[in-house]
Amino acid sequence: MHSSKKYGLQFDLCIEKVMKKLLFIFVSVMILSSWMVVLPDQSEEANAKIKTIYIYNFTKYIEWPASYKEGNFVVGVLGTNTPLVTELNKMASSKTVGTQKFEIKSVSTPADCAKCHIVYILSDNSSQLNGVLGKLKGKSALIVTDKSGLATKGSGINFFVDGNKQKIELNRSNIEKYKLKVASTLVDMAVQVK
Amino acid sequence: MLKTKRTIIFGLLLFLAVSLNAQQSRVTAAYTFLQQGKLDSAKATIDVAILHPETQSDGQAWYVRGFIYKTIYNQSEKSNKQSSSRIEGLISFKKSLTIDTTQENVTENIKNIKYLATTLYNDAAASLDTIDYKIAVNNFDIFREYYLLVDPSAENFKQKEIDFANAMATVYTRIYEADRNGKTDFLNYAKASYNKALSFDPNNINANYNMGILYYNQAVNLINQSDYDLDIVALNDVQDNSINLFKQSLPFMEKAYALDPNKKETLLGLSGIYFSLNEKEKSNEFKQKLEQIGK
Repeated sequence: MHSSKKYGLQFDLCIEKVMKKLLFIFVSVMILSSWMVVLPDQSEEANAKIKTIYIYNFTKYIEWPASYKEGNFVVGVLGTNTPLVTELNKMASSKTVGTQKFEIKSVSTPADCAKCHIVYILSDNSSQLNGVLGKLKGKSALIVTDKSGLATKGSGINFFVDGNKQKIELNRSNIEKYKLKVASTLVDMAVQVK
Repeated sequence: MLKTKRTIIFGLLLFLAVSLNAQQSRVTAAYTFLQQGKLDSAKATIDVAILHPETQSDGQAWYVRGFIYKTIYNQSEKSNKQSSSRIEGLISFKKSLTIDTTQENVTENIKNIKYLATTLYNDAAASLDTIDYKIAVNNFDIFREYYLLVDPSAENFKQKEIDFANAMATVYTRIYEADRNGKTDFLNYAKASYNKALSFDPNNINANYNMGILYYNQAVNLINQSDYDLDIVALNDVQDNSINLFKQSLPFMEKAYALDPNKKETLLGLSGIYFSLNEKEKSNEFKQKLEQIGK
């Protein structure tokens, strides 16, 4: 049997061993540095999107009186929720209600709600429901709330959570009392409250 | 008649002896060409020698072939991440290793295989990008095959597998993130890579966190991509699917949190998951922890 020495082809151990160690260290650093920390997307935006889709659906299944079909279709948001207002504005830039353009308004007092087609009272501002109800007497507005039990206290539609899912409860008489007509399709898709 | 027969047998033996000698001479000639730097001639000569029945099972011939190809790689193909000479070198040293079990040859073959395998590892790392990622995978596979052949209990090899799987997952994620609708396959590849890292080390923070983020972002993306025209029934389906993804994200993110409770990104992720699952109290808990760490 021949040996590798016969041809003098022996590995230059010292140099290549040191080189190999250095390369392993260098490459390990390269591989580690190629990892990245991916930040989570904004969950608030996703929640705002769900609510915006609901609100746009409300405009398709609810009819306002003829006198409310002129000018802009105003959605007032009572309280502070930047992702929601941003999302509503995005929707407003591409959608209409019939021939009416959307106008999204951030409002801070019930008095600011008087000219709205839809008033969305955020959960932190739920205590202002009674004030809003007072200001909207004789008007045609859909009142949307975001706190358990408010559909029985005057709001037309209330967002609630069931099994991690955002759902709506609907009080038909609270909607119709503002001279709005609600399609049975929307009624069927909501949890009905009296 | 007998004389003729003897002559024929003698002739055959002589032919065999000359032939055997001729093949050994080819190996020697190949080596001489190598020494003279005539690598093309060395390659052509040794390639003929290892095909001949007399030398195709000669460990020394394969060793010389390995050395010639290794030299070609070192001299002219080092910048080629898919060098065929490197592979031929590895094949030759492996063949020599299996044929010639004398200690000296075994030692030399192992050293050469380790050297060439290491260069494959280096090139795999250098190919960790969205263009050359297939080269990275291929080179790492060959590196693994040969390195473990000569060093089955290699120290830290498990760590290399974990690091590489995590790095590949990152590359796949980058490709997916650049085109979330068109490159959905890469989301699955990324998940498979993180799963691979986790199969080696279930407590790997990076793999747990990023796996959680993949599911999390997939869930958020599902909602964000929905059209405003979606009817409420279809919106319910989207919500069901996204909730399912958030729930798949949760155990990975919680594991990452258990392993490192102070990592800000994990706290942000958990706060987001619970927010999306409409568990606002838990979401706020993690938000507060995040704020405390930020102080």
